[in-house]
Amino acid sequence: MSGRAEHRTGAAYAVEMLNIRKEYPGVVAADDASLYVKEGEIHGLIGENGAGKSTMMNILYGMIKPDRGIIRLYGRDVVIGSPRMAIEHGISMVHQHFMLMPNMSVLRNVILGRTPVRRGLIDVAAAKTAIGAIMEEYDLHVDLDSNVYQLSVGEKQRVEIIKALYRESRILILDEPTAVLTPSETNKLMEVLTKLKNQGRSLIFITHKLREVMALTDNITVMRRGVVTGRTPKSETEISALSTVMVGREVDLEIPRKPYRPGECVLDARGISALNSRGLPALRDVSLTVNRSEIVGIAGVEGNGQSELVEVIAGMLSPTSGSVIYKGTDITGTSVRYRRENGISHVPEDRLRRGVAKTCTVSDNLILNRYYQKGYAKMGIIDNRKLRDLSERLREEFAIKTPDTGYKLSTLSGGNMQKVVFARETQMIPDLLIAAQPSRGIDIGAMEYIHGQIIAVRDSGRSVLLVSAELDEILSLSDRILVMYEGRIVARLPRGETDEREIGEYMMGARSKDGEACA
Amino acid sequence: MERRVRDWLAAAEMRESLEISARRIGMIILALLFAAIFLKVSGYPPSAVVRGIFLSLTRDAAGTVRWATPLILSGLAVCVTYKAEIYNLGVDGQLYMGAAAATVVALLLPDADPFLSRVAVFAAAMAAGMLFALIPALLKVYLDTNEVVSTMLLNFIAALYVDYLVTGPLRDTSTGANLNASPIIPRNTWLPRISYLAPSSANVGFYIALIAAVAIAFMFKKTTLGYEIKIVGANSRFASYGGIRPQRTTLQVMGLSGAIAGIVGAVEVSAVQHRLLAGFNPDFGFDGIVVSLLANHNPAGVVFSGLFFGALKNGGANMERITDVPSAVTKIVMAIIILTISARAALPKLRQMLKRSARGDNA
Repeated sequence: MSGRAEHRTGAAYAVEMLNIRKEYPGVVAADDASLYVKEGEIHGLIGENGAGKSTMMNILYGMIKPDRGIIRLYGRDVVIGSPRMAIEHGISMVHQHFMLMPNMSVLRNVILGRTPVRRGLIDVAAAKTAIGAIMEEYDLHVDLDSNVYQLSVGEKQRVEIIKALYRESRILILDEPTAVLTPSETNKLMEVLTKLKNQGRSLIFITHKLREVMALTDNITVMRRGVVTGRTPKSETEISALSTVMVGREVDLEIPRKPYRPGECVLDARGISALNSRGLPALRDVSLTVNRSEIVGIAGVEGNGQSELVEVIAGMLSPTSGSVIYKGTDITGTSVRYRRENGISHVPEDRLRRGVAKTCTVSDNLILNRYYQKGYAKMGIIDNRKLRDLSERLREEFAIKTPDTGYKLSTLSGGNMQKVVFARETQMIPDLLIAAQPSRGIDIGAMEYIHGQIIAVRDSGRSVLLVSAELDEILSLSDRILVMYEGRIVARLPRGETDEREIGEYMMGARSKDGEACA
Repeated sequence: MERRVRDWLAAAEMRESLEISARRIGMIILALLFAAIFLKVSGYPPSAVVRGIFLSLTRDAAGTVRWATPLILSGLAVCVTYKAEIYNLGVDGQLYMGAAAATVVALLLPDADPFLSRVAVFAAAMAAGMLFALIPALLKVYLDTNEVVSTMLLNFIAALYVDYLVTGPLRDTSTGANLNASPIIPRNTWLPRISYLAPSSANVGFYIALIAAVAIAFMFKKTTLGYEIKIVGANSRFASYGGIRPQRTTLQVMGLSGAIAGIVGAVEVSAVQHRLLAGFNPDFGFDGIVVSLLANHNPAGVVFSGLFFGALKNGGANMERITDVPSAVTKIVMAIIILTISARAALPKLRQMLKRSARGDNA
């Protein structure tokens, strides 16, 4: 590639990032990458995790300094040294993990950094009027007086967008905004974004959900391994072409599987009720079975008891009533370690909080379920070499992208962290694999891989309990589908005899068909 | 490529540790400067502090070893729990209890075999320190009490309990002297002093401290317990998800920490004082926190920072001996030095540590 980027003229660009380079030890996060965003467009920036999208956006938002490259806003060269400067230039960013103060009211969060003052005091009335007008115009309603920690995820995101609008930002960066939303919230968000675009604002939409890219954007930039591999108007491309450019090869999301022949019953949960962490009933008399050679998928909007159900089965939460029968034995009161030793593996829904220890090494994360076992430890003394060999073998086998398992886990991308979790959990050859939200926040390439792993567990005659809020995932993987709503199973549907719409209705509680426990 | 990355990281690590060392040495010089200014202002020769410390690094290195011994051990007691994100501020109390137990056992064994009686003295001290540390640990596990508060409050109980012992049941009545102390313990229970460092009270406890440091380093690197401590400290939710019981780890590290603190008490009684003395402990436990922080909670580093603080402590004593600076001023000078050093190197970490424990992330 030549040193200078081709300089496009003609259309008015709101953002030009030219020949940006950023190098980290061992990785080139952005390699002569250029990005052009027009005024009044929604620009899709897509790529797998670790492709350099976040690096580019963090550079634009002033959080990272590029090693080289030029940034131009509305035709003028600028240097963006800090997020504060970015805000002054009219750039706002809605982060994937919200940057809000949980113990403050919505109002205070919005006016932070741009507070109307009257006689030395915060002019609450003026702030309320201004924010009220924004909420009215864009149909973004949030209670200004409630504290942020009381809000749902969707509401928090609305607060972030209101904040950006309140600052009169002309350029909005949205980092995977739909990852945390329900389908209806997503549709709502899309409407808002379209409205913003029509007012002449520029939006950069980071995602790896190609369907949304096709639905929403005007132009698309694709990145892979720090390099821009494609740049196209949406009208001239289609999903399969995009995913090929993004992953660098053709992706097959329809994974071949053996015909459905369920074997003996592995898990039999009977009449489980349990409380959530706040002491409120989360599960009400839930019964389900999982057999060998099948994947049972649990669909549902998050927070309807799925997390608690998984915790009860994995041994981290004691049910108030009911029992968990595993391979014919009642394991209700047993410890996590007992269950793991007996072949229950668990991929937790919240990877960062529960599935990994970020500040430890990749290797430390890979050996969690083995470090004490015969062959790796004797009388409490660990054989570090064997454990190292094991983790290096897992790194190769599961194609975890890191030069060495001695690196800190935090240096990995989300998809690679999930591979670490899967490597650890499936290498134990589980009889029951509990996979909760297995593809959350990971890219297509990693998702394809992980779905392949799940099918492999099923095809080898073992059982999988899949919990996911992504209907696509439930529909493509499950042999049987259960839908949870408010702590109950409201529908039991076989594979192939249902569709997204029907499940969606059960998920929202619009329909209910109380199924009895299966044999 | 892999190779290059690893080299790069190693070089960066080296640069970083050199930089940190340079910054710490700069801090020490700054601290000495502050101390000298204070002395000058108070009308004493400003060189006194440098001379005192110089002496403790040269002719009086023995004194440094004497003070470094309890400081290294206290530093180890602190660093053991820190890795699990548990904060034992009760090393002082635990070492008092260890000292009391050591004294009682020693007084009960006047004619026993010297080796066995010493083993018994140390075992008793470790057990007492461990049991006393388990009180806040159990409170934390079962009642979710913040151990920072409970360990600190238990220090008062232990100190007052020792006062009670030496003014009551254990008081030495034989000499008629009005001393708040137990009788001298029998010679067969004395831990030997290091002969070539005589006449200082530097003793074999120093070797015990070095062995303990090696043992703790081994424990962290090579044992399942060390791994569990690391994981619990890094993310206790991850630990319990993987089948480790963080509560059990809490009890284990607190017990271990208390046992090490108990050794400090046993060393002070059996090698230095030869009796239980009211208020014999000049806050070794709190100094241990600073020792451990300065070493970045690395057991090998604790040996060096313990020696450094030992030199400082001894330097104060020397300063008093060779000049006419009164002991109150000496204490102030030493406080200035410790404050300056810990303010830069340790306070940010200490603040972070207290904040984290206040949030109660380990519940």
